Amino acid sequence: MTNARLWNHDLNDDCYRVRLMAALAGVALDIRPVDLFPGGEHQSPEYRALNPLARLPLLHAEGMILRQTEAMLLYLAGLGPRGPLFLPEKAPERALMQDWLFFAARDLGAASQARTVAMFGASGDGAALAMSARRGLRMLEDHMTGQRHMGLNFVTGAQPSVADVALFPAFALCRDFNLDHDAFPALRRWARQIRQLEGFISMPGIPDYH
Amino acid sequence: MSETPFALSELPWSPLALAADIEAGTSAGTVWNGAEIVIWRDSRGSLHAWEDRCPHRGMKLSFGFVRGDRLACLYHGWEFGDDATCRYIPAHPELAVPPTIRVARYKAAEALGMVWVAHPDAAEPSPEDSHAVFGLRSLQIDRSAPEIADLICRVGLPGCGGLNMPERLGPLIRWRQGDLGLIAGLQPMTDASCTLHLGMESDLPGTERAAMISATVALRTLAESSRSEGLS
Ligand code: FES
Repeated sequence: MTNARLWNHDLNDDCYRVRLMAALAGVALDIRPVDLFPGGEHQSPEYRALNPLARLPLLHAEGMILRQTEAMLLYLAGLGPRGPLFLPEKAPERALMQDWLFFAARDLGAASQARTVAMFGASGDGAALAMSARRGLRMLEDHMTGQRHMGLNFVTGAQPSVADVALFPAFALCRDFNLDHDAFPALRRWARQIRQLEGFISMPGIPDYH
Repeated sequence: MSETPFALSELPWSPLALAADIEAGTSAGTVWNGAEIVIWRDSRGSLHAWEDRCPHRGMKLSFGFVRGDRLACLYHGWEFGDDATCRYIPAHPELAVPPTIRVARYKAAEALGMVWVAHPDAAEPSPEDSHAVFGLRSLQIDRSAPEIADLICRVGLPGCGGLNMPERLGPLIRWRQGDLGLIAGLQPMTDASCTLHLGMESDLPGTERAAMISATVALRTLAESSRSEGLS
């Protein structure tokens, strides 16, 4: 038992990434709720003492504090009994996974921001962020269309990797900022594959189909 | 090159998806000439095309999910059978639902590897499934359908060899590049956007099909970047 503790808000997409990775890898998390919205608890002096970035998620495990979502995903995949599936061993696949991980964080970060503007009234140019998110999702759609023709169901190959977990919420939640799934047939199919993985969990905005 | 005698937006039947992209038990939303439409396939594989609007509170039905031979709305779970009438209201499980609660239906058919949809009163028969088409992808482009039709007739798929014999038949364009026969079904969405449903008339190995995806991306980039130049 690792006692990984997650400072969490159920509607935050990055917190969902971490909960999803933990569930897929088979790691139990100790959840510490933070009233991000409407309470603004992430701005409190107590929380800022833990994370001066005043942002969720935050993971505390084995005496260390992690503040970057992608680092948490990689750490949790290394921890759980089903985790190794999500960490490709071969160097090229591993490099691809990392490339798409940074894409998720940097280029698709706009999807996360567009959603925060639309749902929680954060400041920002919602229309410009949504356009930027659409460009990113189109790139992912192009990539997954090619993967599908090669008989590969996931972003880095035939098996899911940490990159799939980092990317999935950007697509699954894009209706929250009024970007429909219509133009993304390959991503719709990919999302169905991810939903079928053992341990998959959803969040508000990602409906359970049963 | 034969010119189509009618405007693309006035054709009775339009391709709205690649048939392989609507798997059994799934639904997808789309837009045809401004009308929002949900396409879904029941668990037995039959296709349906309806107005993408729940008669209860107007939720998009494409956000919902397929349960056997019914489409269920995401919002309050109303379920609609294959004749588009409401069959079940979860909040009133004992209620015999009046058959007047129904979704507006379109005609739906499958031909040439594509899903075709027409208005319910269309008299014209659905397109003939005259030969096998192997789906490549559906590609949404921020340009009107007529502009894209003109562009394809001039360049085909960029980087895939010399363009031969482009031929327009209503919403379809057929042409050859190198040894390959290609076909595109054009779906007008709005005045400024369309979707291109691309297929091949012979199958290729997966790696070669995957390589053609970059040609489709190049086509979209070319189309969307030449907005100011005037393509026709
Ligand atoms: S809006 Fe569809 S069931 Fe209520």
